[in-house]
Amino acid sequence: MRTYSYRPALRAAALAVLLLTAACSNNAASSAQNKESAAPSAPVAAESTQSTENVKPEEVTLSFLHWRGEDVPAFTDIIGKFQTEYPHIKVEMQTLPSDQYQTAALAKIAGGDAGDVFASFPGAQFEAVAKAGLYTDLSAEPYAANFNEALIEAGVKEGKRLAIPYQLVYNDPIYNVKLFDKLGLTPPDDWEGFLALCAKLKENGLIPIAFAGADIGPGQFMNTMVMNNLPSDDAFTKVESGEAKLTDEWWVKTLSQIKELNDKGYFQPNALGTKDAAAGALFIQEKAAILASGSYQLAQNKAQNPELEQKLLAPITVEAGQAKYEGIHTSTFLLGISTKSKHPEEAKTFLEFLSRPEIAGQYANATGQNVTVKGVEYTTPELQTATEWAGKKTLFQPRFTITNGENQKAVTNSIQAVLGGASPEEAAKEAQAVVDQQIAK
Amino acid sequence: MRKRLTLWVFVLPGLLLYAVLFVYPALAGLFYSFTDWDGLSPSFQITGWKNYDTVLHSLVFQKALWNNLKFMAAVVFGQTLLSLVLALLLSGNRRIYVPLRALFFFPAILSTVSVGLIWSFVYDPGIGLLQGLFNLLGAEGLAPSWVGDRRIAIYSIAAVQVWAHTGQMMIVFIAGLQGIPAELKDAAAIDGGGRWRIFRSVTWPLLAPSATIVIAYTTIQSFKAFDLIFTMTDGGPNNATEIITTYIYHLAFSSYSFGEASAGSALFLVLLAALTWLQFKALRADRISY
Amino acid sequence: MTFLRRSVLLLYSALIVAPLYFVVVTVFKSSPDFYAHPLGWPLPPTWTNLLRLFREQPLWQYFRNSVQVTAGTVLLVLLLGSMIAYAIVRFRGRTAGLLFMIFAAGLMVPSQVNMLTLYDLARKLNLSDRPLGLILFSSALLLPLAVFMLSGFMKLISRELLEAGSLDGCGEWSLYWRIAVPLVAPSLASTAAFLLVVVWNDLLLPMLLLGSKSRLTLPLAILQFRGEYVTDYPMLLTGVVVTSLPLVVMFLFLQRYFIAGLSEGALKG
Repeated sequence: MRTYSYRPALRAAALAVLLLTAACSNNAASSAQNKESAAPSAPVAAESTQSTENVKPEEVTLSFLHWRGEDVPAFTDIIGKFQTEYPHIKVEMQTLPSDQYQTAALAKIAGGDAGDVFASFPGAQFEAVAKAGLYTDLSAEPYAANFNEALIEAGVKEGKRLAIPYQLVYNDPIYNVKLFDKLGLTPPDDWEGFLALCAKLKENGLIPIAFAGADIGPGQFMNTMVMNNLPSDDAFTKVESGEAKLTDEWWVKTLSQIKELNDKGYFQPNALGTKDAAAGALFIQEKAAILASGSYQLAQNKAQNPELEQKLLAPITVEAGQAKYEGIHTSTFLLGISTKSKHPEEAKTFLEFLSRPEIAGQYANATGQNVTVKGVEYTTPELQTATEWAGKKTLFQPRFTITNGENQKAVTNSIQAVLGGASPEEAAKEAQAVVDQQIAK
Repeated sequence: MRKRLTLWVFVLPGLLLYAVLFVYPALAGLFYSFTDWDGLSPSFQITGWKNYDTVLHSLVFQKALWNNLKFMAAVVFGQTLLSLVLALLLSGNRRIYVPLRALFFFPAILSTVSVGLIWSFVYDPGIGLLQGLFNLLGAEGLAPSWVGDRRIAIYSIAAVQVWAHTGQMMIVFIAGLQGIPAELKDAAAIDGGGRWRIFRSVTWPLLAPSATIVIAYTTIQSFKAFDLIFTMTDGGPNNATEIITTYIYHLAFSSYSFGEASAGSALFLVLLAALTWLQFKALRADRISY
Repeated sequence: MTFLRRSVLLLYSALIVAPLYFVVVTVFKSSPDFYAHPLGWPLPPTWTNLLRLFREQPLWQYFRNSVQVTAGTVLLVLLLGSMIAYAIVRFRGRTAGLLFMIFAAGLMVPSQVNMLTLYDLARKLNLSDRPLGLILFSSALLLPLAVFMLSGFMKLISRELLEAGSLDGCGEWSLYWRIAVPLVAPSLASTAAFLLVVVWNDLLLPMLLLGSKSRLTLPLAILQFRGEYVTDYPMLLTGVVVTSLPLVVMFLFLQRYFIAGLSEGALKG
């Protein structure tokens, strides 16, 4: 039986008061903060003599929306410089973690209340935003010439430049140079050689390839594995339109090669249950010689183990001399200007600023990310490692040529399926069935 | 009459809030399920029942539904049985039982994100706790890939759900057990009933209402599980842990098929409504027999 | 205690404690130490992770955000919910049944269903990325559950008592505030505990409605740590421990209400 007494009520009330006071004090603090952040632009601009004409330019505030929380310090510096040069433009940066970026950011941009300048991913997200008509046409912008033309193609659709990729990533596996040297190994140039390399690593008690099968692994590794098996660069596009199939020889072959690596024990045990973090850890501790991710992880690995010496290597899945490509590149972080923006001209000014080599260089060296801007000087060994690849023949990440999200998932799922024991044919068939449903829509 | 008018003033603020921020979006969502809206574009077309047709025939949806059923079966079975056993063990009045109950209950107050990350660590094939246990026993190679093996991944997550909520259900059972008059059991014992017989003929029938509650609650919770799967596997590997809620989420936010996602939601709603109706019915039936 | 009983209880205790123990221990491990001996005792124990987390993350800000949103939502839901529950009990008859059904129907709608329309509405009402917006939407979503639980409790108040009060010339307000609320106070407390846990730990709605980093609640913050400390397990687990701490401390002090509230939540919900 419950006894009714006032004590619990009192305690609950006390609790409520406690919570309330905490909430109230926060209210006060945050509103004070708001005032602070809303106020400053006015006096600064009033005193500014920067404008070339004597007409005072109109005060504007731009919203800059992206997903790279780790780049905030670097961008804050850059925005500071920008605001010194253009005192009438204030840039407010807002970041969302990448998994939420898809949810909240796009809705915000579509609603027009954020993202005068915003970043997007290539592939499915770029297509969706383009289809919704949210990109301002940047075809006539002269500063596009500051970029490496070949690298910013990913932002072009039907002849119009809708967005400009800012970051350059080489999605090739990373290898531990010291371990390779110790065993006298060099990156091989054919499939037999790659298998022999893995065998040698394994014999020496190392995990040949650390593979994050549970999350990013399949989506990263599939690119280098498929690049030389592709009958044409647009094979995945053809799959989406129904002109080619995942059950075709090239994808089945790719799946069986991945399966071969797995069956021979060249991935760490239980690769499918391993997440990004755990796979990275194996490489950082030098238990694994190769990490199937991409250049974007170089800086982070180094930070955790300063002794590491890292380079990139792409498995060549065909015989020597038949390889069309040496590796994969992705230009991502596609900067666009929302059609809902009330200040497109100022947004363009900000884009122009970012496209200057010295600013892009500052960004790159502060964040450890390569950029698509020409003439940038990289100062860290990790960034230089990636730069070596600029001269190589690389293919734009095939995964991002798949523009339908469900198809993209079906493709990476087929890799998980073979790792889970399915035959390449079965896995390909299962994935093709999903693609067929998308085509039928 | 005045009394009624005043009472409406009590209802109005809540009703208004509920109508505008809950009912309206739900109905709007229902409307979008008949369109091809992608969630971004300013315009869309009315497409009738097409989305429903697509979703019902979607291989991924079917897989998600099937996974959901497996997940539900595992959680309902495991959680009910385990919480009942623990409740029977802890229903007495010993001092030590109070902290034990609190301990078993404890995981229920952790956020699902925390629970998911804690168990991702436990299941990790490289550095995980379970792997460590297998290593200790000298059976390195025998540890299954808990969340990587498509055959067991969904059950591994079900186990986490059970871990997190068994204590909570145990309390429901304990409350039920404490409502059973001790004289009844004593009488049965005097009649020469063994322990198992007392349980079957006295305890269990009187515990049935609690059991119904536990089962009904667990069923619905396991259907709604989203946070846990979102944190641990996000539906992988190869959709082996995709359930309906994660499927809807992926449709809307990774595939930009908002219309279809809404249709999926509406179907899910029908399913849940049916389950809830059964729950109500079962509860009412028990009240009569009690 | 029989041997069997003792061993079952011991085993289950270990099952609960072991994962928590290893997670807590990890907080005091350096990264290399952790990877070398993931399950060992920290040698030597270090405060680095904790210090770094507090230095790099605006944890107090996240904590305050969580407190603000939770307190606001719980109080609003309790107030509105108990008022409606009171009205339902007083109305009786068809109106009461209808009102009850209207809210009970909301119990069936899973929140994942309305994600995008909710977001759209929040934006149109200028409620997105604002704590107030999250409070209002969370309250609307939890109101059905609260009405369901609280009308159950209110029904237990003897009708005669309220009617007697009514005859004595008490208005509805004073009946509600002076009689009904104090009488169900213990139940309000456990309902509050239940709501507290639900709101504090909610992921989906904050994920949808909050954008800026400075507004994140604790569960969202953990998700974000996962992005920022990709390969740094000790840091990530430190984040998990630190963000769980506030509720754990509350649980230690207010155990009874949590336990009662969460099981009653299950009973009624």
